[in-house]
Amino acid sequence: MKKIVMLFLVAALVLSVGGCAKKAVVTPKIGVAIYKFDDTFMSYVRNQIQSAANGKILLSVQDSQYDQPKQNDQVDQFLVEGDTALAINMVDPSAVSVIIDKCKTKNVPLVLFNREPVAADMAAWDKVYYVGAKAQQSGTYQGEIVAEYWKAHPEADLNKDGILQYVMLMGDPSNTDAKYRTEFSIKAIEAAGIKVQKLAEDTAMWDRVKGQEKMAAFLTANAGKIEVVLANNDDMGLGAIEALKAAGYFKNGKYMPVVSVDATPPALDALAQGTLLGTVLNDAVKQGQATFDLAYALATGAEVKSDVAPLALADGTVDSTGKYIWVPYVKVTKDNYKDFLAK
Amino acid sequence: MKNPASTSWSKRINARSIREFATKNAIILVLAALVLVIGIVKNGFLTPDNLVNIMRISSVRLIIALGAAGVLISGGVDLSAGRTVGLAAVVAASLAQRPDYASKIFPNLPYMWVIVPILAGIAAGLLVGIINGLAIAYLKVPPFIATLGTMVIVWGAASLYVDRPPLGAQPIGGLRTDFTNLGTGSVGFMPTIILIALIVYCIYWVMLNKTQLGKNIYAIGGNLNAAIVSGVNVKKNLVTLYAIAGMLYGLGGVLLSARSGGATNNYGQSYELDAIAASVIGGVSNMGGIGTVAGVLTGVLIFEVLNNGLVVLGISAYWQQVVKGVIIVAAVAVDIRKYSKKR
Amino acid sequence: MSSSEYVLEMRNISKNFPGVKALDDVTLKVAPGTVHAIVGENGAGKSTLMKCVFGLYTADDGEVILNGQPVSFASTKQALDAGIAMIQQELLPVLQRSVMENFWLGRFPEKNYGIIKIVDEKKMYADCKAVFDDLRLNIDPATKVFNLSASKIQSMEIAQAVSHHSKVIIMDEPTSSLTENEVEHLFTIIRKLKDQGIAIVYISHRIEEIFEISDEVTIMRDGKCVGTYPTKQLTPEFVIKQMVGRTLTNMFPPRENTPDGVVLKVENLTSVTEHSFRDITFDVKKGEIFGIGGLVGAQRSELVEALFGLRSVKSGTVSIDGKKVVITSPIQAKQYKMALLTEERRATGIFPVLSVLDNTIMASIGRYVHKSGLLDEKTGRRDAGKIIDTLRVKTPSLATLIENLSGGNQQKVIVARWLLTQPDILILDEPTRGIDVGTKYEIYSIIADLAKKGKTIIMISSEMPELIGMSDRIMVMCEGRVTGILDGKEATQERIMTLATQLM
Repeated sequence: MKKIVMLFLVAALVLSVGGCAKKAVVTPKIGVAIYKFDDTFMSYVRNQIQSAANGKILLSVQDSQYDQPKQNDQVDQFLVEGDTALAINMVDPSAVSVIIDKCKTKNVPLVLFNREPVAADMAAWDKVYYVGAKAQQSGTYQGEIVAEYWKAHPEADLNKDGILQYVMLMGDPSNTDAKYRTEFSIKAIEAAGIKVQKLAEDTAMWDRVKGQEKMAAFLTANAGKIEVVLANNDDMGLGAIEALKAAGYFKNGKYMPVVSVDATPPALDALAQGTLLGTVLNDAVKQGQATFDLAYALATGAEVKSDVAPLALADGTVDSTGKYIWVPYVKVTKDNYKDFLAK
Repeated sequence: MKNPASTSWSKRINARSIREFATKNAIILVLAALVLVIGIVKNGFLTPDNLVNIMRISSVRLIIALGAAGVLISGGVDLSAGRTVGLAAVVAASLAQRPDYASKIFPNLPYMWVIVPILAGIAAGLLVGIINGLAIAYLKVPPFIATLGTMVIVWGAASLYVDRPPLGAQPIGGLRTDFTNLGTGSVGFMPTIILIALIVYCIYWVMLNKTQLGKNIYAIGGNLNAAIVSGVNVKKNLVTLYAIAGMLYGLGGVLLSARSGGATNNYGQSYELDAIAASVIGGVSNMGGIGTVAGVLTGVLIFEVLNNGLVVLGISAYWQQVVKGVIIVAAVAVDIRKYSKKR
Repeated sequence: MSSSEYVLEMRNISKNFPGVKALDDVTLKVAPGTVHAIVGENGAGKSTLMKCVFGLYTADDGEVILNGQPVSFASTKQALDAGIAMIQQELLPVLQRSVMENFWLGRFPEKNYGIIKIVDEKKMYADCKAVFDDLRLNIDPATKVFNLSASKIQSMEIAQAVSHHSKVIIMDEPTSSLTENEVEHLFTIIRKLKDQGIAIVYISHRIEEIFEISDEVTIMRDGKCVGTYPTKQLTPEFVIKQMVGRTLTNMFPPRENTPDGVVLKVENLTSVTEHSFRDITFDVKKGEIFGIGGLVGAQRSELVEALFGLRSVKSGTVSIDGKKVVITSPIQAKQYKMALLTEERRATGIFPVLSVLDNTIMASIGRYVHKSGLLDEKTGRRDAGKIIDTLRVKTPSLATLIENLSGGNQQKVIVARWLLTQPDILILDEPTRGIDVGTKYEIYSIIADLAKKGKTIIMISSEMPELIGMSDRIMVMCEGRVTGILDGKEATQERIMTLATQLM
């Protein structure tokens, strides 16, 4: 019992001292939390945010390590430190309401990016914004690349049944991007008037090695029947290409169309090698720039309203509500990949 | 010895002796049953191509699991295995990029003999292993904590290594063919990667069974205090053991990047748990002192047959996890019977 | 049916372990209110038989009858509920928890507050205290178990058995870690239990105790029952003869060693730990058997462990062959050709899951490394086999796991391990502890033979006949200090005991 009382006393002491010492000093500073640092795409976005901020404003960039409670703690820390705007890449976008409440209490504007919350949460407060790409669009573009190829290459229909037999490598199935890419790529193919048949679908958790292993298993289960491979991202698509190579593809005229999303440097290389048919660029640089521009405007310009004006700074399409910035995707194929090689 | 039991023994080659055999070799029977059942349900599984593919995948896993198993036998545990694999993969891959690849990690990377990236990867693993060994043997940090620490450190180090100017964090691709041949090529009819795993397997068998180090490891795991009293140089042996384990993870990482044709800092994540699970399935005692390399091989094969077989069978991603978990627990439950016979 | 006459009957029990017939058609009948001793050498099957009753093992054949009802227990819990309790040889309480928590473990009394159940600590304390008082045990139920001596822990476990309303209490070698006073106390408790009508099954290989406490004796040998006799009709000679199957003419072998020239000289050695040994001075000659006597707590093991580099010393010197040496690890001790057989065979001696071969060569494995770096297994196997044969270790093969051997044979394997290092100075800490009479004699012969060959032997022993019978000189310690060094020929139990209690 004594111990418990002591504990309370110590806790109270610590809190009161901490409370007194903390006097909010208002220097503009942006708190940035990334859902996890080892996500390749997000590191491009992060790099862009950091280089854009260089010399203009102080940044604090945190790794949420794929852990939503940790991210919440980081947000608390940002707010305690007196950050004037937050840019948060949610671990779990459905848990955003807690973070919106935190910011609302302190009246610190919040920019969410890349991982999109539902509209109802976005409507909860006027100082919450979203920067991202429409995941549906990435799927649609993938489908369009496939459809175009299919129409131009009748020999791609191996069994000549007029139906496109495909396999799908999904990312984390609980992730909305993965769902949209899976769904809208097929919708786009069908929209082009092509009948499709799914031979296999499995998650490779965005991972190259897993993509390779799953693809090898697909080939075993559906030897000679697969006509197109769709992957939710480049890493899995490149893994699939390695498995296909091991099974004798990409030499002696044996070809398999593989499409993926992200346009990472290795994917661009694969386009150059002629192994990858196409990929879709989620424009990390533009997304990072838009995120920073918006957060910067919010952090420094005291009179930012829900007005569209500061949003127009970003090189994106502005939603009619004035709260969304949609950064468009880009189709990347053998024809234009050179434009995206490292500058 | 005049044992009356031995004369009646020969008469009793019947149900009892069969049961005895089954208990002793339960885990191999589990493996055989898995292969047969999947093979019967899905023709295509038991094709040479698919079996070779499973063995390719198992090769990397075996090399990593051998390292982890040695540590388990010594009465320790190595949580840093997976992340060390990742570090070695990025180090090796970064030095094995094609000169004409556009987004090289080191833009001015000179052409080097292929042995350089291979040795660099192994050396990275060796370094981590030595740090583990020193912390455990000399600083007396319990293995669980020491390797938990290095696990986190190594992941950070791998991320820092990848996240370097001018390009920042990105997947490493565009690997040279002479490097990827390690993972995809063949020596005669024998896939190189399987050959390497076989050689490592043999060397490790000799090390554990035919050298002073091996005997000492069993003794340290069997009864640490008795080993000290017997004058075993526990510190030296532990450092050597962890260093060898680190080298194996390093080699595993090199082969993993060679097989998949790329690397990210995410490679090898949670491989340590797979390696520990495979070892324990194969009869390595997590209390130390017990375990064979043949058991580890069986454990790894069970794991990879399941991984491949469940995809080939077309079982959905979530159910795969459930089935895998059940079979792992069931396999150990069957195997453990050989120790509880004293009842 | 003789249900009124016997509380526990075991009929025609057989039990096989891989390669061993541990029990062969054993029959045992225990009457209520008696102490029934089971004697036999280690490996005779005494403990195995009792584990078959207590639900730790399942017998292959035969039946167990309790209070006239045939029973078969699948777990110790069932056995406890049916009124059978067993005090194990190696006591395993939860050291960090209190006496009463250990006492009620698995059956905590609870208070109900609706659906919430709270452990009733007051009741735990009171009930525990009541049982202790009844047995006149002076133990505070709230104290942590690690504060208790081995004897008190054992008393606690006996009290626990009583609290289960046991009709039969099995005690497996209950005096193996007790001092003489504590043994007397144990016997007082046993007599009290007897008066309450409880039957005691008393497993031991200490003959004197059997005659003091038991009413009936069952003698076992090689998994078979040799016979059951009323204790009054027996003589110790007869019991020993039945146990070993031969007559032991001499307890100790003749010694032909001739001590000559000082090998080891210890001066003013003092431990870094307070309350451990201090100011220890003695020397030991080549070919001498130097006994160290004293009571538990005299710091004898601590002293020899320090000599072997396992513990640190604050001051003092050690010389070997006239040269001062500083030994800080067993690795160095081995370089000075020293060997140490530790007291705790399980904790610091055997590698339970390794083979007899590996256990034998472990301390000298460096010698079997071939130029290639690989082990020269053939030589190792040959040397180990030779020494295992010389010491007459009973093992099916060199590949047998050491944990499957009896305690005496495990001890011989560890002796073999150290002999293989070809030491000049052998330190033996309680070398015959927990070993049966026949094997003891063999170990004495080995010691005598080594001394004859000019090896220096330092032997700690708590058994005074052994000290007197084997030693050329005996150093007696008390409370960490040397209280006297006696000549072996002049030593008597009384003189040793006087020195051993001098400072108390």
